[in-house]
Amino acid sequence: MDFSIRAANVEDCKDIARMIVELAEYEKVADHVKVTQRDLEQDGFSKNPFFHGIVAEVPEQHKTKDGHTKIGYALYFYSYSSWSGRAIYMEDLYVMPEFRGKSIGKALMSKVAQLGLAAGCNQLNFTVLDWNKPSLDFYLSQGSFDITADMGYHCMRCEGEALEHLAQP
Amino acid sequence: MSDQVKISHEELERDGFCQNPFFECLVAEVHEEDKAKEGFTMVGYALYFYTYSTWKGRSVYLEDLYVMPEFRGKGIGKGLLGKVAEMGKKEQCVRLQLSVLEWNTPSRDFYAAKGALDLTDNEGWHFIRFDGQNLDNLANEAPKD
Repeated sequence: MDFSIRAANVEDCKDIARMIVELAEYEKVADHVKVTQRDLEQDGFSKNPFFHGIVAEVPEQHKTKDGHTKIGYALYFYSYSSWSGRAIYMEDLYVMPEFRGKSIGKALMSKVAQLGLAAGCNQLNFTVLDWNKPSLDFYLSQGSFDITADMGYHCMRCEGEALEHLAQP
Repeated sequence: MSDQVKISHEELERDGFCQNPFFECLVAEVHEEDKAKEGFTMVGYALYFYTYSTWKGRSVYLEDLYVMPEFRGKGIGKGLLGKVAEMGKKEQCVRLQLSVLEWNTPSRDFYAAKGALDLTDNEGWHFIRFDGQNLDNLANEAPKD
């Protein structure tokens, strides 16, 4: 299937917001999504953006039942490893179900890798849920490794009251 | 894992103090009279950067938190951690995230005592990485513009 990948612009935030919710539904946590289209516009397209995005589009003749031509995205930001230096973190990778199996996800991920290398990054990092076997198998088959399983790294988070408490001077 | 460290102070200078820095850093210092055996007054640091959660928004990631062994148990680590949280709050971050090795019980206990959740144990999140030749191979397969 014919598709194209390009950098996201502020007009894409409506579709990205839609697909973020679809991805959260896939991960069984749609009620967790608090970020809105407006948050994306402010946080991704201001002077010091918190993230960058790329969007996958199909031609008009392949649009979805609801009329969407933007059918996938990847959202990423630059991070740092005090051991290896510059890194790129892929926060989201998503392709709408009816467009899967056409290498669009692979193309999005490769594009993030390419952008990372162009910026001098040595790592592409992201997370996946352990029950998400299709995704885990896909990533491992592409040459990634599972740092949690192999090296024992655990992801930790502070939020809400715990974070408020930590931030008390 | 000291053989894993591939960068030097030159990369830190370039990447942390350029126009769009990749990270920020806090340092902990003691007075001259309390300096380390080797003469250091800089005895700890926290290296962090801003990230994004498409569910919750702005976040801060604590990449490193370290206090030299002879200065531990004095609240310096806690002070550094609190300062990172405060910096994050100024930027309206709603999350502070980090990673810790499974066998590192003192650190796991320290963070758990501060209210940190272990997302790997509780929700099944795993870190995945592409680097080296695998990263190059992946990038080479990107569609041509």
